[in-house]
Amino acid sequence: MWYHKPVINEELLQSLPNLKVVASSGVGIDHLDLKLLSSYGVKVSNTPFVVSTDTADLGMTLMLASSRRLVEGHEMAVSPDTEYFPADWLGAEVSGATLGIVGMGTIGYKVAERAKAFEMKILYHNRSQRKKEEESAVGAVYCKKIDDLLQQSDFVLLAVNLTPQTQKLIGKRELELMKPTATLINISRGLVVDQDALVEALQNEVIKAAALDVTYPEPLPRDHPLLKMKNVIITPHIGSATKKTRWIMMEEMTESIEAGLAGRPIPREVL
Amino acid sequence: VGKKVQAIYLWWHKPVVNKDLLQNLPNLKVIANSGVGMDHLDLKLIASFGVKMANAPRAVSSSTADTGMALLLASTRRLVEVHNISISPSMEYCEADILGVKVTGATLGIIGMGSIGYKIALRAKAFEMNILYHNRTQRKAEEEQTVGATYCKKIDSLLQQADFVMVVVSLTPQTHKLIGKRELELMKPTATLINISRGAVVDQEALVAALQTGGIEAAALDVTYPEPLPRDHPLLKLKNVIITPHLGAKTDKASYRITEEAVENILAALSGLPLPSEVFPS
Repeated sequence: MWYHKPVINEELLQSLPNLKVVASSGVGIDHLDLKLLSSYGVKVSNTPFVVSTDTADLGMTLMLASSRRLVEGHEMAVSPDTEYFPADWLGAEVSGATLGIVGMGTIGYKVAERAKAFEMKILYHNRSQRKKEEESAVGAVYCKKIDDLLQQSDFVLLAVNLTPQTQKLIGKRELELMKPTATLINISRGLVVDQDALVEALQNEVIKAAALDVTYPEPLPRDHPLLKMKNVIITPHIGSATKKTRWIMMEEMTESIEAGLAGRPIPREVL
Repeated sequence: VGKKVQAIYLWWHKPVVNKDLLQNLPNLKVIANSGVGMDHLDLKLIASFGVKMANAPRAVSSSTADTGMALLLASTRRLVEVHNISISPSMEYCEADILGVKVTGATLGIIGMGSIGYKIALRAKAFEMNILYHNRTQRKAEEEQTVGATYCKKIDSLLQQADFVMVVVSLTPQTHKLIGKRELELMKPTATLINISRGAVVDQEALVAALQTGGIEAAALDVTYPEPLPRDHPLLKLKNVIITPHLGAKTDKASYRITEEAVENILAALSGLPLPSEVFPS
């Protein structure tokens, strides 16, 4: 299963009586009704760890590109109308700034490892606190309340998985708690953010900018306000989109399917 | 008025410092440059008038290193291309066409391991990159170990192994056209060239040819010669090129630090004290 296709519903499951296993690409399984699948005796697998570094790398790419206005800058550099580069054209510095990571799982932690090398101050919010050694290794400070993270961060990066608890985790209230100079980076799922509230926050300069690898839906309708904003970078859900990783994902999915069909324990089974 | 001027704070190469200007400012004691590059100044000429010169090396190193990493990541993950696809009226694209190259575990070759080059190495290490470097002199063993960098005495060896070649040297007569046809041919056809030094360090025509014929995969340039490029220049039209408007040190924080360093140097010169970052003609 790639990119949530085909849609797995009761109809499909009834028409596939011999279906034994669904191998889903990537780590997110929010698009699957696990209870339903289980009731049909179908096993499920994903590819959780292989996507981590590329997704963390993309999170860093979006943060750097947004803060330094890379897309805007490139457009200026190649535009037919450009005669000179204005001297007062500035971006915001990443080095030494404060990064708040919401969701410190495998991907969130890898982002922290990278951000530390940029001498960033790292705050994180997570269901549970990480071990002390893990925190010290990246210099990350736990914020039990998300509000504390939102109020202090220059960059807020979302790396949670989508669950009923994280749906619209970032809404009007959270955006208003953020600094007006802050940037929101989303590499999790579109639904983790209240998109209408985000549009409003960007339009009213409640926050400065956003960089989104994920939206709801994907892709956005062509007349959506987010597509027209100068301070928004959107990428088409490419978190894991590198040749090497896609290759390994395919290998892992095939392995899971073969195990499922042979009645062996399934690697990376989702229970 | 000319007689009153004792110091010049040069912002973005203005004013132009030539013989005329120097003759009209008999009491000029110091020229403080915004930024670290001094290639736009005739150092010998200025020194001959007894005027001291200073740059701002500490102020720009972090932001320029950040820019190098930003360009590397943006290029390899095809950021500009895919952003344009995301916002374009027609969403036709093939999944396989937008795949990028994995950064983690790739080899980065840094040409010029000064303060900026070293900060890039620190950042790249966190991405688990394999780091090679070429420099006039080898760094101390502890410095190499901290970033896991391997010295390449010959630039050829770096060029042949690197997936990403990052140029971070200052522009001098020795580094002019350092990367030319020969060097580009030594690079892997899958490699990306990133230039955050000066446009003239790269032979631009040779670069265009290499990009057009698949000699190298892509380029990301914060600097060109001239800046900006003429609007009909081939580099502006190539899909596999990202160009940014010399934004290496253009952040709010860096601008502040640049001005602080310049003021420190100016005050020192006017008080007859040693300058924190004096630059001498070589």
